[in-house]
Amino acid sequence: MLSDAPTLHVHDLTVPLGGRSVVRHVALDVRPGEFVTVLGGNGSGKSTLVRAATGLLPHTSGEVRLFGTPVADFRDWHRIGYVPQRPSAASGVPATVREIVTAGRLSRRRLLRPLRHADKAAVQAALTSVDLADRAGESVAELSGGQQQRVLIARALATEPDLLVLDEPTAGVDLEHQQLLARVLAAHAARGVAIVLVAHELGPLARLIDRVVVLRDGRVTFDGTPDAEAAAFAHSHDQHHPLDPNSGGARAVVLGPGWQAGERR
Amino acid sequence: MSLLAYDFMQRALMAALLTGLTAPAIGTYLVQKRLALLGDGIGHIALTGVALGLLTGQAPLLTAVIVAVAGATVIEVLRLRGRASGDVALALFFYGGIAAGVLLTGLAGGSAATLTSYLFGALTTVSDADLLLVVVLAALVLTVSLGLAPQLFAVCQDEEHARVSGMPVAAYSVLISVLAAVTVTLAMRTVGLLLVSALMVVPVAAAQQLTRAFRATLALAMALGVLAAVSGVWVSFSVNAAPGPTIVLLALAGFVVASPLGGWLRSRRGVTMPTDDLHDLHDLHDGKD
Repeated sequence: MLSDAPTLHVHDLTVPLGGRSVVRHVALDVRPGEFVTVLGGNGSGKSTLVRAATGLLPHTSGEVRLFGTPVADFRDWHRIGYVPQRPSAASGVPATVREIVTAGRLSRRRLLRPLRHADKAAVQAALTSVDLADRAGESVAELSGGQQQRVLIARALATEPDLLVLDEPTAGVDLEHQQLLARVLAAHAARGVAIVLVAHELGPLARLIDRVVVLRDGRVTFDGTPDAEAAAFAHSHDQHHPLDPNSGGARAVVLGPGWQAGERR
Repeated sequence: MSLLAYDFMQRALMAALLTGLTAPAIGTYLVQKRLALLGDGIGHIALTGVALGLLTGQAPLLTAVIVAVAGATVIEVLRLRGRASGDVALALFFYGGIAAGVLLTGLAGGSAATLTSYLFGALTTVSDADLLLVVVLAALVLTVSLGLAPQLFAVCQDEEHARVSGMPVAAYSVLISVLAAVTVTLAMRTVGLLLVSALMVVPVAAAQQLTRAFRATLALAMALGVLAAVSGVWVSFSVNAAPGPTIVLLALAGFVVASPLGGWLRSRRGVTMPTDDLHDLHDLHDGKD
């Protein structure tokens, strides 16, 4: 399942923002099927890290490779699904949920061609997986903040990516739908999709995660399994699901039948 | 149909029809990007182009297209590079454009009346050559703004997501600005440079009172634009008024009708706007739902 090149390779990365290095000498490799969460407080550089990793921000030193290709030369954008951090999915003109999710297919569509059957099917599947299929014809501006976040997630899923990058995707999403999202992401990870999730706190996603990377002042202060992180920092966010601390097979544990049973409480 | 007996009115109506179609088409993207006033800024810049035409003896429509396109490109590049925020970049060009336009027109020996015909439209002055250029440019604007609708929609909806989708966002953004500049100059003889932005924005504002989808908004805005432009020319001829203000007031009347109608439609669907985002967060914190 693992290819030679990591899905995402970040080496000695420094990213300036407004004349200050917000990310400093960060290293991070993410492999197919791996579920990595980047945690950190406000201003820790976690969003800046993923924005540089997706080519949205330039870096001054270090290296970012996507599927083995330096980010500046990367062209296979249909392999990446991105959920930007934004308060709303709406813009100045009304747009339906389906119209916005369909934008997730653009990296796979040729210019001036109508939507193919595969495009429509992927959009429908993405809508269904975030539980918004019955709202597809509604204007996003008329949905709640949490529902709008799910629209943005569906847009990234509709791309059918090999790498999913989600920047605080669960802000405002209710607990029930956070659990739904956890199941959806777990299913993608099980199929070999690499997932990088930027989060403030983990919630229901905690038990799906292989690795936690903690940033503070732009530097990695921790990189390991969630329970090791919990032990090291005595944080409270995953104490309700003890995992084997020395397990390299943490993913097998969390993605096995156990996570589902745990999920339903 | 007495008014169609005049050649100049046939040309004026044709120009108005094309303006009514193109201005809201490109205006929809500007409103989506929250750059509704870009058309206004470009209109001021185009005035400098008109003055250059008067000064050099070239066709003012042609020089206006060239100067407006150049100005629109610079505004967009300034915005993309983060050198100036969108509104400040616009303000610089508003004042520079109109000052240079008035100054150069004066140097060319033009009068206030000459300027007024460009600022507020002048139906009788649409020549055959003007109309030909208007037809060609309108076809170009419509082809691009409808043919590339999925791409332009994505770029205007969410620039960051569009970039991570591998789209040349800067190129598309400049394209939208250039199309807006071309549209402004097309509308110069019908609505005039000072009011052209209204025809880009007001039909869109009226349409979105009634619609939920982007495509429906685009289509309805174009229909309302044509209705306002053609009936505006008709009315202005009948009562001997300037066409630009007539067209704009008719478009605004459309908004005045659409706004309460939209409110009624939404209340029938049981939707209240805007939605209360905080409600969700409170639910989350309280552990409810």
